[in-house]
Amino acid sequence: MEQVNGKQKTIRNVLYWGLPVLAIALIVAGWIAFSGAHPDLMPSPATVWSRFIKTFTKPIAKTTLLGHAWASLKRVLLALLVAWAFGISFGILIGWNRKARAFFGSIFEVIRPIPPIAWIPIIIMWFGIGEFPKILLVFIGTFVPLVINTSTGIELVDRINIQVGQIFGGNNGQILKDIVIPTALPSIFAGIRTSVSSGWTTVLAAEMLGANAGLGSLVTRGWQGSDLSLVMVAVITIAIIGALLSVILQKLEKVVCPWNN
Amino acid sequence: MPIEDNRPVKVEVKNLTKRFGDLLVLDNMSFNIRKGEFVCVVGPTGCGKSTFLNCLTRIHMPSEGDLYIDGVPADPKKHNISFVFQEPSALPWQTVAENIAYGLKIKRLPKEEIDQRVNQILDLMGLQEFRNSYPGELSVSAEQRIIIGRSFAMKPDLLLMDEPYGQMDVKMRFYLEDEVIRLWKELGSTVIFITHNIEEAVYLAEKVLILTNKPAKIKEEIVIDLPRPRDITDPRFIEYRNDITDKIKWW
Repeated sequence: MEQVNGKQKTIRNVLYWGLPVLAIALIVAGWIAFSGAHPDLMPSPATVWSRFIKTFTKPIAKTTLLGHAWASLKRVLLALLVAWAFGISFGILIGWNRKARAFFGSIFEVIRPIPPIAWIPIIIMWFGIGEFPKILLVFIGTFVPLVINTSTGIELVDRINIQVGQIFGGNNGQILKDIVIPTALPSIFAGIRTSVSSGWTTVLAAEMLGANAGLGSLVTRGWQGSDLSLVMVAVITIAIIGALLSVILQKLEKVVCPWNN
Repeated sequence: MPIEDNRPVKVEVKNLTKRFGDLLVLDNMSFNIRKGEFVCVVGPTGCGKSTFLNCLTRIHMPSEGDLYIDGVPADPKKHNISFVFQEPSALPWQTVAENIAYGLKIKRLPKEEIDQRVNQILDLMGLQEFRNSYPGELSVSAEQRIIIGRSFAMKPDLLLMDEPYGQMDVKMRFYLEDEVIRLWKELGSTVIFITHNIEEAVYLAEKVLILTNKPAKIKEEIVIDLPRPRDITDPRFIEYRNDITDKIKWW
């Protein structure tokens, strides 16, 4: 009986390791088949690979692929740092303080549904196409999910936990720090995750509209120069960095919210 | 059956009355609790026990009358009032040891004092090996022990317990009842324990306060004069139990 169970377990393990590999293999196979049938529409994986190597031997705009990736990443990280500081504080403020919510809530509700990309024309007209407007755009795109998640997390705090704080004689500040914010941490983290992916999306959009460096500029450059391999290289790099960021965040969440596993 | 008790009065409840609008919930309740006394409060379901407790902890302010600790009106900022909720209320993001230290940190006790008290409680409750676990990793009964330990760690002037074992099975209840008695004896806290379980009240209490139906008044105070550990099959135990049951049943 035990042997059968062990065998089933092995089969299951193989299955759950095998299925993702199979999915990727199918995509690559589809890619090869499609690019073989329509070489004008889609470069083959081998062509993309050699284009990838070429980004290092023959830099684009005097920058290698790594340089472009870093340019994008730097913009996102800078904007994120500012957005985390302001977004989380603001979320706590309107989640905890009813007067603040009454005052800011309606303004926020109006601004909230505007997609960050819609700000691009205004921001470019006001601030040009330098570094600051790009970072500002990413900030706008990441601020909103942070505020929403933080304030929702704060509002969801269990009444009984606040009473625990009151019973033990905690003042408002202590209750906020010891009870409310820790309760909201998982939601805040959900906001951070959303902010990273939306920041990554926004930076690429901003770069596609005008930048000398950055993965978004590579996409535009490849597109305008009919260099589809370059577009593919940039897109795959974007995907890989996005995936890495989300893995890092998952690990970080386990460190910051160890009780939540 | 008054017995000699020389302990000083710790808690004085005088004419405690609570109204919500026109609804009278607590009607002119007065009683005293001596220092280190273990008092159980029993009463019919919905008689206002929770309101009674909430007035004592100042979650609600009484409409009339008041609660005095050592002769001064009770004030959570000044006095040490501790509370064990009916629902599990350990803070899920803190480890067992951090939960027990929680109230002590708010009171800003010196670190050595906090460590010493936390260790004492962990030892007394046999939770030492779980000190770095999170409540979510433990059973419900262990979580309830954490919050009982957290309250006793405060060495409170007054410890209020609101049906803390209401959700537990009989075996776990017996075990935790003995635990609470052990902590109480060791630390000499003054305890008000609310329950609807008469057997539990007779098992734990030095004195039982019987409440009437809403609006709640004190119907009677009964001193339980039985040696410990108590035996629930002892004829005198059963006599107390039946006596209290009758008093709750017949108005």
